[in-house]
Amino acid sequence: MKKIVLMLLFSCFSSVLLGQQQISMPVSVDRAPQTSGGRFYLQQQGGTVGLQGNVISETHDTSQSQDVMISTNGGVEVTSSDGEFSFQFGGRVLIDAAVYSEDKNTLGNGSELRDIRLDIEGRFYADFIYELSIDFSDGEADIKDAWLAYDANYPWRYTIGHFKEPFSLEEMTGKKYLTFMERALPNAMVPGRSLGFGMSWVGGQTTFTAGLFGDDYNDDADDADDADDEGDEGWGATGRLTYAPLADERSALHLGLAASYRKLDDEQEFRFDSRPESHLTDIRYLDTGKLNMSDSLTLFGLEGAWVSGSLSFQGEWIQAILKRDEHDNPRFSGWYLLGSWFLTGESRQYKQRSGRFGRVRPLNDYGAVELAARYSTMDLNDAGIEGGTSDNITLGVNWYLNPQIRLMANCIIVENDIFADADGDVMGEDEPALIQFRAQADF
Amino acid sequence: MLLLLILGCSLAALQAHASSNDPQTLVIGKISHNPRKHYQYLKPMVKYAVERMQDLGIRKGKILMARSKEQLADMVRRGEVDWVTETPIAAAYLREKSGAEILLRKWKKGVPEYHSVFFSLKQSNINKLEDLRGKVIALEDPASTSAFYLPVNAMLEKGLRLIKLRSVREKPPADRVGFVFAREEINIATLVDKGLADAGAFSNLDWGKEDHLPSKYRNNISIFKRTPPIIRAVEMVRQDIDPAIRERLEKILLHAGNDPHAVSVLHAYQQTKKFDKLSRDQIDSIYNLRHIMDVVDQAL
Repeated sequence: MKKIVLMLLFSCFSSVLLGQQQISMPVSVDRAPQTSGGRFYLQQQGGTVGLQGNVISETHDTSQSQDVMISTNGGVEVTSSDGEFSFQFGGRVLIDAAVYSEDKNTLGNGSELRDIRLDIEGRFYADFIYELSIDFSDGEADIKDAWLAYDANYPWRYTIGHFKEPFSLEEMTGKKYLTFMERALPNAMVPGRSLGFGMSWVGGQTTFTAGLFGDDYNDDADDADDADDEGDEGWGATGRLTYAPLADERSALHLGLAASYRKLDDEQEFRFDSRPESHLTDIRYLDTGKLNMSDSLTLFGLEGAWVSGSLSFQGEWIQAILKRDEHDNPRFSGWYLLGSWFLTGESRQYKQRSGRFGRVRPLNDYGAVELAARYSTMDLNDAGIEGGTSDNITLGVNWYLNPQIRLMANCIIVENDIFADADGDVMGEDEPALIQFRAQADF
Repeated sequence: MLLLLILGCSLAALQAHASSNDPQTLVIGKISHNPRKHYQYLKPMVKYAVERMQDLGIRKGKILMARSKEQLADMVRRGEVDWVTETPIAAAYLREKSGAEILLRKWKKGVPEYHSVFFSLKQSNINKLEDLRGKVIALEDPASTSAFYLPVNAMLEKGLRLIKLRSVREKPPADRVGFVFAREEINIATLVDKGLADAGAFSNLDWGKEDHLPSKYRNNISIFKRTPPIIRAVEMVRQDIDPAIRERLEKILLHAGNDPHAVSVLHAYQQTKKFDKLSRDQIDSIYNLRHIMDVVDQAL
């Protein structure tokens, strides 16, 4: 493991040496580029490779056009001049700390590496794209994205591997682009990443993504040596439709709906549980416990988001229906609503082609400052199951020092009902408050 | 080791990859400093066009991106590139250096035309270009159409004489307009808002962008002059392309704006709304940009 990390760090360091500095070269709408800027071209000349970097290209080039462009934003990106081959290496570091104002239960102040992620993605032979993303934050290699996609039939794309099931705007938005440090409570019902096959379609204002999935690879790997787990694994089908009649640099209107059906594995045990919106504590107040004789799970989700200049709102509602043999079928649900306002004039960046939010770019040298508030709730009490109900109110402030470095602070007030007792492990009706911080960098 | 292996294989594949002059291949070219991004823009459109040229013997589409207008001109002249999507100023250069011809106008990001705006602080006494004598104007850099060539040409047409200043704090002679390069639109706006430059100029499209002109600046600044509009973007073909392919490409692109199957293709193609034909005068006005560039370059 150490060797791999060293190799990756060496590769990253080498890329920085090649690129020397962060490349920021805004190109005006009408510019006819004349310089190679901070990007570098490896040019094949008589079987040798020469490096041309930061050179004003005023001379005529009569060689064959077989350039390779290398650029860096801290990571490294290599692309052939015809775009048919490309390679990108990057990563992220998220460092968290939390202080809890405890009520009835001990939550445990502390700090952690929330994410240590290395990403490789690229394209080869024009029509194939891939991504491999590994998280090392818990000291082990945890496979995140690991997929191969066939991209020859635009607007369709076919993907096979380990990737996120298409469900929930918040889930589909990458963690490094979220407004708050953690996703809202109802995210506990969202499928997340699984091994599977998916297809996506993108229209002018519409996207559709669907797939067939097995289980999360990491769960399977954890169970690999478990002799009691030799039954068939579960499978699921998930689809998401988004519509964005308005989407430009400063405004957006996003509507979405999603559904998911999952046939549970042969063990027929199912469990929903959730921490408060803080990852540092291991107390999962909301916990249905293991629900045996569970046959299948059906999810429905509604999404909405509106961006108008510096102001934005976003909300989702999710319902889960668990089908159980010889039991009533419980319905669990949750929703959240968030509002965000950039004091410094920026806008949240909506990506119409993927139906999710992306990177915020500060307008000022001192960065961007965002204030945000969120209310979220989830109810896991139904049909005799007492998983608990919890409400979280979060106030957040984000300081984007530049597009790739962000400092975050979240203050959260938690209200739990009597059943929110971590399946009997802690006291219910706990109402702690907490403040947590994050330093985030990606490259 | 795994990463090095992948990196090595990628570079080997990249280097081994060759361009094609295959007559069965339709090649689109573009100047790009971000080929990874532009590949995704161009690929759907090339595929869309190739699928509609099968009867002409076109079997495959290909994309070539050049790092400069000079390199793209070489590619067109050598017959490596059949079709180009570019800005008017690049089109004027390609016309002169490679003989490439304008086929259609591209409504890039839904816009058919754009122009340059001159602006200054509202309380300034600058109301016309002649008022810039003895003053300082901030421009972007010598490669920009709307934030250099068009505004400088407009000032030259008014008989103004310009002088490049080393610093925005330097004062020009009373009978000349001093100009400085601010590199980015936001810097132009900041220099004017802070009163360091007396005026600035860039595209009317940038005028509406918060990241180029924040609202807090726009409230203090007003436009005092606009240049005549120029075409937003064009599609070109090489001079000696098969006339049948040229005719088919024109037909395909003209039809795309009304084709439901092309909605997502046009959206990917830099959010193009449609393509339309240009009049002879409009085409000549684009080719005349080359003359404007020469006039500006010689005057400075």
